[in-house]
Amino acid sequence: MKLRIPLLLLLSLGSVRAQQPAVVLPEGWSGERIDIREVRIDGVRPLKEIGIRRTQIDTLVLRENIALSMADVLTFSSPLFVKSHGRATLSTVSFRGTSPSHTQVTWNGMRINSPMLGMTDFSLIPAYFIDRATLLHGTSSVTDTGGGLGGAIRLRTATNDRRGFGVQYVQGIGSFRTFDEFARFTYGDERWQVSTRAVLSSSPNDYPYVNRDRKENIYDDEHRIVGQYYPRERNRSGAYRDLHVLQEVGYRTRGGDRLSLSAWWLDSDRELAALTTEYSDPTDFENRQRERTLRGVLAWEHTRERWKVAARAGYVHSRLRYDYSADKGNGTLEPMIRSRSRTETFYGEVEGEYAPSRAWLLTGSVALHQHRVHSADRTILTQSGEAARVEYDERRAELSAALTARWRPTDRLGLSLVLREELFGTERSPLIPAFFADYVLSKRGQLTAKASLSRNYRFPTLNDLYFKPGGNPDLRSESGFSYEGGLSFRCGCDERWTLSGSAAWFDQHIDDWILWLPTTKGFFSPRNVREVHAYGVEVQASFDRRLGRAWRLGLDGCFSWTRSVNEGDPMSPADRSVGRQLPYVPECSATLAGRLSYGSWSLLYKWCHYSHRNTMSNESRSLTGYLPPYYMNNLTLEKGVSLRWADLSLKGSVENLFDEEYLSVLSHPMPGIHFEIFLGIKPKWGKGSKANGE
Amino acid sequence: MKWEYGEPETLHLDAPGLFILNEGNFQYGNATLSFYDPEARTVENELFYRSNAMKLGDVAQSMTLHGGLGWIVVNRSRVIFAVDPATLRERGRITGFTSPRYIHFISDDKAYVTQLWDNRILIVDPQRFAVTGQIECPGMTMESGSTEQMVQQGPYVYVNCWSYQNRLLKIDTRTDRVVAELTVGIQPTSLVLDRNGKLWTATDGGYPGSPYGYEAPGLYRIDPERFAIELEFRFRTGDALTELQLDGEGCTLYWIDEHIWRMDVDAEQLPAQPWLRSRETKYYGLSVDPRSGEVYVADAIDYQQEGIVYRYSPDGELLDSFYVGITPAAFCWK
Repeated sequence: MKLRIPLLLLLSLGSVRAQQPAVVLPEGWSGERIDIREVRIDGVRPLKEIGIRRTQIDTLVLRENIALSMADVLTFSSPLFVKSHGRATLSTVSFRGTSPSHTQVTWNGMRINSPMLGMTDFSLIPAYFIDRATLLHGTSSVTDTGGGLGGAIRLRTATNDRRGFGVQYVQGIGSFRTFDEFARFTYGDERWQVSTRAVLSSSPNDYPYVNRDRKENIYDDEHRIVGQYYPRERNRSGAYRDLHVLQEVGYRTRGGDRLSLSAWWLDSDRELAALTTEYSDPTDFENRQRERTLRGVLAWEHTRERWKVAARAGYVHSRLRYDYSADKGNGTLEPMIRSRSRTETFYGEVEGEYAPSRAWLLTGSVALHQHRVHSADRTILTQSGEAARVEYDERRAELSAALTARWRPTDRLGLSLVLREELFGTERSPLIPAFFADYVLSKRGQLTAKASLSRNYRFPTLNDLYFKPGGNPDLRSESGFSYEGGLSFRCGCDERWTLSGSAAWFDQHIDDWILWLPTTKGFFSPRNVREVHAYGVEVQASFDRRLGRAWRLGLDGCFSWTRSVNEGDPMSPADRSVGRQLPYVPECSATLAGRLSYGSWSLLYKWCHYSHRNTMSNESRSLTGYLPPYYMNNLTLEKGVSLRWADLSLKGSVENLFDEEYLSVLSHPMPGIHFEIFLGIKPKWGKGSKANGE
Repeated sequence: MKWEYGEPETLHLDAPGLFILNEGNFQYGNATLSFYDPEARTVENELFYRSNAMKLGDVAQSMTLHGGLGWIVVNRSRVIFAVDPATLRERGRITGFTSPRYIHFISDDKAYVTQLWDNRILIVDPQRFAVTGQIECPGMTMESGSTEQMVQQGPYVYVNCWSYQNRLLKIDTRTDRVVAELTVGIQPTSLVLDRNGKLWTATDGGYPGSPYGYEAPGLYRIDPERFAIELEFRFRTGDALTELQLDGEGCTLYWIDEHIWRMDVDAEQLPAQPWLRSRETKYYGLSVDPRSGEVYVADAIDYQQEGIVYRYSPDGELLDSFYVGITPAAFCWK
């Protein structure tokens, strides 16, 4: 059959050859075709990536083990700062010294940031559910969405392009009575692709740690303290059970249309672990958060020689229940806080691409997110003695439209302009422009210089505006101006080795930074307070080397140096925060992952480092507010066995290899060394199990 | 990197002075204790940690001296520490609370502890460091429960009920029961007893959209015997009165309402001008030196750095200022 390659695809993706991964793990014991790394070495640069700074997370990293969340993946595979409140606990991600709500996250095109909080909890996104994860740093986020003052993370799922039935099951058993289970059922033929995935994770999560923040007393008979010690205790009230189910259906018509449906069900039941400074008996309290969320996206895509149109429709329904209850001594828990929220989002987007020639690519998109939020914080008794909820109920339509022109006048030069406009409720952003350019300095090694600049806005979230108590309807949008420049290169020698890397300098200013601050009435309220100047360097490098017939070595590393400085006016005459690094922004972070494989054996070593984080806005290093730097080391050894009837894999992982005591957030204990083993099985279903085209 | 253990430091705070309790940030467990020596004009910070090599906890709320010990209520850690006021070394701790706010001593072996998110005031035995009983508070559930500051006159303890409340309670310490209630304005924040034996409370008026209501805050003078409002001053809607305090003689009221205000307890009219204007300051705590009448005002700045305390003479002259811990909120005179 003659392969017909649309021009549009060439322009978007470089070339068919380029799109193929340079290194493909042979289908065998793992039973899954995995892109190790996309390294394009043929010299064709996609128009869509002109001037863009993006990080593509390796599929192999996403598939490392079923217990990992996207927070775990990003911690060891990106220059982003992951702020974790504990194992299987709220984990947020921020780019380049910005806040978590400055990171926009899309799943199959639909924005999944909480419309109430603005941020995304990455501990609730199983890595095994994500097939492609792309980080768009800084200005590059404007190509996808508005509001990403720090950047955007594009998450996508995809059905395997496979024929016949497929089944995969993985069981993980780990420390602290942790059980992780993953199952996937697939079916595919020439037209249809169906996939069902499920992950169930549970654990009492009672990892031991030495509590340095409090002491136990030793008393004599007269109740006098005669000694004290730091107790070795267990993480209290940290149990979790998370169930995720992902259903996908894909259909490809003869006419070049692709239809797909993705539906992701999340049922999470998590306790919120006690702080290290907690003195109560944990059995006297319940501090629990439950979430049930359904996300679904229906997508249609039609591709022709020179143009492509796509439409997506989506829906999110999310119910969040937070219960904080106490036992008054009679054995029954009485609620102190019963917070309930319900969020609904309707999503629609159309986008089109047109390539009038090989030098031009024009795209346009319009996306609508219609939110409805009902948030009830607590039940009180009114002055007349009736029960009443402290709540708000708001709707907001968020419209974002963008036009992009990409032009490559010569082989070496690429220019791109994005114009974006956003409408949130009745508030309209000024025009958001973003300009990108790249230039090939040397075709040998694909040495390319990149530069970009953009303006950006982020509207207040619904909680910022309406939360009871404290919402501030007078908030202004945060606005930012950012620019960056850098170099990238790629080189390789056939399939023996590949090396790629990039370095970028970024600089941005964010005005009217929104911060929730205490009030004299006992609650927090958001205010526009800061002007922040964030700047720094990001460096990334990857290396792959085939060491003979069966050996292979892969190394990935990244480093970032970030200054995120408050340049606003002093909040009072005594304010010492001006000119200082923002709290919880490490100046330096680094990751390194090395993978050595021999035949069906694979050894993975991961390392990450965060420098110290200030917990105060004036960079004060107090005794009680200092978060020292830490280094984290993980090790995984995997062995695959290919039998006639099934592929088996046995994997053992060690996290926090050197049992380091560390904190990501003050007073939230983190686990020491812990282990998990995974047993995977993938029955073979005859010839039909092979991937198309293989 | 291995975590560093703290080494207990031997402190000698022998001079009289002012303890400053810094709330810290909610859920960060970074509350601290400071001490200021007015004579020497020196301040020492993070004293609890330095003396005990452990943290004070999450959201320090109040401190009281009784029986030769300092009693520090740490709200979100649900603990009350008893410390030696000279060395700050721990002498004992009371646990078993829901969300403790203030401790008031009835005798050497009996104290009341008010709570948020609880409809009970707990009775504790300070000598045994144990909870020994409770007082059920009417008209509130656990979820809407709130009892705050306490003052005592004779056998009766008076309590203001703050969060989504509008009442004062009168408790008979002989029976440990609520014997009367008095409705005032929405959310009375604080309670003091003046030299005339009158109670004063100030309300913050709630907030816009509150299902409990939103109104102009008020300042109330109450006759404790009749348990009735004698005098009521109303403020503008949007004002928020907090930190009602008295000088050492009980004759001058101070409070925070953006600025610092003061008024004679016998005055029949509110002052027209603030005693001390805000200078873009976030006044969060207030205290009057019972010996000198000097006024100490805490500015939380941005609530994310060490706050500052300003010391003023009774005439409003700035005498000194010193940085303490995050969100300085409560004071205790030694």
